[in-house]
Amino acid sequence: MQMIPSRPPPPGVTGARAWVGRNLFYGPVNTAVSLLVGTLLVYTIVQLAGWIFTGASWQPVWNNMKLLAVYRYPADLLWRPIVAVGVLLMLIGLSAGLGKRAGRGIIAAGVYWWFSSFAFLLTILAVAFWPSVRVPWLVTTVLALAGFQAGYRLPRLVRVQTWLWAVGLPTVAILVYGLGGHGPMELVRTVEWGGFLLTVVLAGFGIVVSFPLGIALALGRRSDLPAIKYFCIAVIELIRGAPLITWLFIASLMVPLLLNVSPDAIPAISRALVAVTLFSSAYMAENVRGGLQSVPRGQGEAARALGLSGWQMTRLIVLPQALRAVIPAIVGQAIGLFKDTSLVFIVGLFDFFEIGRRVIPSQPESLLYPGGVLLEISLFMAVIYWFFAYRMSIASRQLETELGVGER
Amino acid sequence: MTQTAQSPIVDAHAPEGGEKIIEIEGLNKWFGDFHVLKDIGMSVNRGEVVVVIGPSGSGKSTLIRCINRLEEHQQGAIVVDGTRLTDDVRNIDLIRRETGMVFQQFNLFPHLTVMENITLAPIRVRKWKKSKAEERAMYFLEKVGIPEQAQKYPGQLSGGQQQRVAIARALTMEPKVMLFDEPTSALDPEVIGEVLEVMVTLAKEGMTMVVVTHEMGFAREVGDRVIFMDAGQIVEVGTPEHFFQNPQEERTRSFLSKIL
Repeated sequence: MQMIPSRPPPPGVTGARAWVGRNLFYGPVNTAVSLLVGTLLVYTIVQLAGWIFTGASWQPVWNNMKLLAVYRYPADLLWRPIVAVGVLLMLIGLSAGLGKRAGRGIIAAGVYWWFSSFAFLLTILAVAFWPSVRVPWLVTTVLALAGFQAGYRLPRLVRVQTWLWAVGLPTVAILVYGLGGHGPMELVRTVEWGGFLLTVVLAGFGIVVSFPLGIALALGRRSDLPAIKYFCIAVIELIRGAPLITWLFIASLMVPLLLNVSPDAIPAISRALVAVTLFSSAYMAENVRGGLQSVPRGQGEAARALGLSGWQMTRLIVLPQALRAVIPAIVGQAIGLFKDTSLVFIVGLFDFFEIGRRVIPSQPESLLYPGGVLLEISLFMAVIYWFFAYRMSIASRQLETELGVGER
Repeated sequence: MTQTAQSPIVDAHAPEGGEKIIEIEGLNKWFGDFHVLKDIGMSVNRGEVVVVIGPSGSGKSTLIRCINRLEEHQQGAIVVDGTRLTDDVRNIDLIRRETGMVFQQFNLFPHLTVMENITLAPIRVRKWKKSKAEERAMYFLEKVGIPEQAQKYPGQLSGGQQQRVAIARALTMEPKVMLFDEPTSALDPEVIGEVLEVMVTLAKEGMTMVVVTHEMGFAREVGDRVIFMDAGQIVEVGTPEHFFQNPQEERTRSFLSKIL
């Protein structure tokens, strides 16, 4: 058999130009659609850019940055939440540094750089424009950098890592909430909280607590004991059957009723936390259940045959496999919850979204702008929400890759 | 051995004189309305290799899964190494600790390395130190011929290698009895040999084994007794010679003619 020598591809088959020709201008209909969509796209971008840079009034957003960030948190105590951010970044940086030294752990590093960059940007802004929070932001930057360097240079810290987190997280909470008395650590009651601080507290608490709660409900739903099983099914289906906004209302009215106290005795934030957490738990439970069902029966049988107890089997064999199968769903749930916290205005809380939606547009200064400032604020809030949600999405993909090592 | 053509109940007890490690009397089990095990009576002596054969659906897998309580029986008695299998969780745990099991689908834990697969139960159940567990694990990995795979994940191994890891995992618990539930049925033909080789070595070293299999070569080479089951009953019991040269029952002959 005679071999035909290989030849270069005919011109116009490969390369960017050929791709455009094949995909955008292939035949008259294709070409017409491409031109139409392209024109609309360019027009929209030009219009939007023109509005952003010349038409929009960014002054109210800029002037109300403190409201958007923390609402009524006392101005002279602002250093506390700022330094709390620093402590948090220090802990993440420590884990990231230790991970980098050990040659693994891209997730902590990614999260660290993403949010540190944000903190550095705020530090620069503070140095330039916000004299009252200049020092706290500089302290936060130092903490963030020190955490990473400490982790990277002192690998032995890996032994106390857990302890540092165990001490650090309560420190963050104490910094934000205070200890009591008068002076630098006086209590800042939750009615003063708001803005992005409140959004992060609600979402953070909701995600962290609903995770174990959801796992417990999912395991309960598969229990052999009818009482536990049907209780869990009832809880899950009841909660999933109504919108979050309903549960916020119910928590707001029912919790004081059930505890037989006046509604004012329980802070609105606690009631919202209960609603948000339970709501998220029900969805988390169904995500986890999906994962549990994906684990083959033989896995449990092998564990039992080796003599592991039922609890050991669940904890060491079934759950790890179940959870890793549903990481995308769990993170999706977390992202959803983060954005859904914007509904807490319904129980009188002033979260990030509510500040932008109602508080800032009704400031006397904002009223001077014809047409209002809602569009500018919405765009700003969208960017901030996106910045955080997108990072969770990246972390989810990294987590999948990292845990997928060695799997089929 | 007593066999009567009229009675469906065949006594499959081990020869007298040995130390009985598994004893089963009057065992009955139903899956819903389906009577899957009917009046099973059998026993196994220490050091014996018992091969259970029979058509699919005959209840042979269910039978050995009853021995370590992966399946619950409804009637009869199962005693393993002097411990009676009851609803008492302590007894179940005790028996599971002393019986190793190898499954058709290997059932290795995909999220753990080979070493972690093997040392998990010794550390958690036997409460061994990690160093001891790893040392014993390496001993058995060498025995099954794949010590170099210790740090890999199951998904990176071939089927034959996975099944050998599964055998090492069961052996590291130092069980008194090994149960094999069709250990080669899910394997590609070219790797069946490497798994059978390990099992033959094990049998020759005196391990007590109950093996559900279709590998007649294995039964012939190392089996002390062969039990033939059909439709939930023990139909015939005998030495491999008896079985392959002079089977008594019509059902046995019909089955053997199909697979040999």
